[in-house]
Amino acid sequence: MSGILIHLPSAHRTEPTTTRRLGPGEAARFGRGTKAHPVELLLPDPAVSRLAGEIRVTEDHWQLSNYSTTHSYLVENPEGAGEYLRVPPRRSGAPIPFEFARVVLPTRGSTVSFQVFAPDHVYLDADDPGGAWGTRTLNAYSLDETATYFLVLVALCEPRLRDESAVSVPTTPQVVERIRPHPALTRLTARAVNAHIDYLAEQKLRVRGPQDVGAAGSGARRTGKREAVVGVALRFGLVREEHLALLPSRAPGAPLPERARPGGHR
Amino acid sequence: MSGAAGKYDETVDGGTGEPGEPVHGGTDRTDRDGTGGPDHIGTGGTGSPDHIGTGGTDHGGTGESGRGRADGTAGRIPRGFRVGRWEVTEPIADGGWGRVYEGRDTTVDPAADQPEAGEGGTGTGAAGGRVALKFLPTSGLAPRQAERLAETARREIEFGSRARHPRLMTLLDSVVLGDCEVPGLDGAVVLVMERAESSLQDLLDAADGTPLPEADRLLTEICEGLAHLHRLGWVHGDLKPDNVLIMADGSARLSDFGLAAELEGTRGTHGYIPPLGSPDYLPPERWRAPLDERGVLVRPTADVWALGVIIHQVWSGGASPFPGATFTARASAVQEYAEGRAPLRLHVVVPEFWRVLATDCLLPAHTERAAHTAESLLERVRAVGQGDGSPVARPRTGLRAVAVATGAALALFGAGGAAWWQWGTSDGASPKPSEARLRVYNADDKCRARTDRHPLCSLGLAIDPTVPYVLANVVDTRVWHGDALVVECGMERGVPVADEAGARSSRWYRVRLPTPEKSAKTVRTTAWLPDVRTESNPSVPACAG
Repeated sequence: MSGILIHLPSAHRTEPTTTRRLGPGEAARFGRGTKAHPVELLLPDPAVSRLAGEIRVTEDHWQLSNYSTTHSYLVENPEGAGEYLRVPPRRSGAPIPFEFARVVLPTRGSTVSFQVFAPDHVYLDADDPGGAWGTRTLNAYSLDETATYFLVLVALCEPRLRDESAVSVPTTPQVVERIRPHPALTRLTARAVNAHIDYLAEQKLRVRGPQDVGAAGSGARRTGKREAVVGVALRFGLVREEHLALLPSRAPGAPLPERARPGGHR
Repeated sequence: MSGAAGKYDETVDGGTGEPGEPVHGGTDRTDRDGTGGPDHIGTGGTGSPDHIGTGGTDHGGTGESGRGRADGTAGRIPRGFRVGRWEVTEPIADGGWGRVYEGRDTTVDPAADQPEAGEGGTGTGAAGGRVALKFLPTSGLAPRQAERLAETARREIEFGSRARHPRLMTLLDSVVLGDCEVPGLDGAVVLVMERAESSLQDLLDAADGTPLPEADRLLTEICEGLAHLHRLGWVHGDLKPDNVLIMADGSARLSDFGLAAELEGTRGTHGYIPPLGSPDYLPPERWRAPLDERGVLVRPTADVWALGVIIHQVWSGGASPFPGATFTARASAVQEYAEGRAPLRLHVVVPEFWRVLATDCLLPAHTERAAHTAESLLERVRAVGQGDGSPVARPRTGLRAVAVATGAALALFGAGGAAWWQWGTSDGASPKPSEARLRVYNADDKCRARTDRHPLCSLGLAIDPTVPYVLANVVDTRVWHGDALVVECGMERGVPVADEAGARSSRWYRVRLPTPEKSAKTVRTTAWLPDVRTESNPSVPACAG
């Protein structure tokens, strides 16, 4: 249980987005804020209330309170193909079930939004569902096998899963190319893939790898990170042969050696 | 196999079949390591243990997260299936990771299984040659899954072959099956272990929110096992009530070393284990621990944290020290506590001594916890157990405070003062000459010194010596040190009971109540006194039935 991550958009294009971590039990208010009543998450849009709402980390998820008396807020699941929920005015502590969420506040014209990631979501071990969890020996690094990050991970692991001798880990462009045929991911960008790899390495698997010892450039760092992620995922069975079926089948006639059907040969 | 059997002998209760005099006061607790359990239980296969030596049904993860593993690929293992010199008798438990069967040593005459044979078990490594056979099938697995399973087995075997201790489950043998007729078993690894009666988790499940009887003894034994394990330079890695097994004599043993890691680093500070764990027993730092191909770093302080949780559970009847209905809620409460946003709130039933101990085990930072090694914790437990008169731990609290702290009058271990009072004779009801008598003994020397019949120094009598000695099983009449009671008969195999000094016995005496207890329906004239509550050795017949 490590809490949640909140990514606030920057006020100006030139500034980077700010990221804030909230630990279990912690809360943060959001809104326009005032000098007398500052808020932890500043949304400097004139259409947003001074105190618009509150986020509180509860167990492995988080709750959203809507302090507005007139407006509903939307919480979208960016990976959920349009899945969203509406938090009506004055609703206190609505539980948010998404691992990835975008909170959308209504404004005139455009919208104001920020993202909240809840990497603590726990998934049961595939072979042993049910039972008393507290005493169960669980894999401490559980992954959502329907998430895009998992698909990215499978794509990264694919060469080594299909052929032990292949030690290379695909580059970001190769990953993009590999999973773009997936009907839900036709607009996947290299930037998004990098973000997924970072999320896997830092939030989900928490790999201890070359990036910790301070590599030279960011490119080299990410290569090290990719290799560390793949190494850990394969070593501890987080990605297995059967997961290859999640990847879109290769285009017919693709000039690649892996012609086997998903599911693996050998 | 004589090697393993021979080693096993060291761990088997030396007092089998020899109901020696329990040692009171001043007992050096280290002696207990040698004697294992209650002195008077025949280890020769009493009863029919319906549990096993390998962590109940629940150590799913150590067997690992392969799917389609045991189920479907490995058929049921038929009765009579031979593994080395063992023969499968009954299935015990099934898990996603493998299966556990009861086995029988074919080199042992089944007749030795009879309790009358007494020492039937001691020579063979298990009571009546009974063992638990843990099958870890590897066929039908992808190579990587098989590797991981093999690693589990390797850890168990590596650890098991080095660690022999009366508080650690003994691995008797390991067998790799060759070709065999049962589908899916080719290449399976079979771990042969001692047969246990149940697990601490079973006791907690049955406790229903009340402290476990003999909580202090169980915890002392767990501390002993953990201290030994750490002394050897290993970390258990998955310490939890499921992995604390209860033997037929009632003693506790640590088991399931599938996640055990040998300490490495220049000063032996840590080891690495696969990223598996039981959420309720993971220390706060584990939830943020980085992972690499060696696994996740684990320190002895992780076991100490788990011990803190177990101490709380044993006293609270299973409840975690951290609030919440789900393990995610409790894990998040652990973080809140570790980050200083919530205090540690232990249940009021936890006696002061154990409360302090548990609080030390549950210090938020592993660096703070490191000061409290299993060894140092064990020393503290023993210091109190031996009645060193530590003013903090004694009369109100500490080991003795079971009854006080729980508000239950089952003061088996009453604390406080005693009376040299002999109501048997003082009220003029002089016994017939033929009647055997015993004198009540209180192991607490402060109580022995008192004569005011203080309630805290009173001792209880059981209604039925074959069921746990809890409040519902205690008569109203109390007795004090020095009381003389008329004994009718003795019984060798009741529920084992330990006194404050650590002496244990499962012998009970049926004694006559000085004043019959009358209720609406019944008149009770007798009750049962545990053998540890007397130093007399009356020659009485065995109780009938």
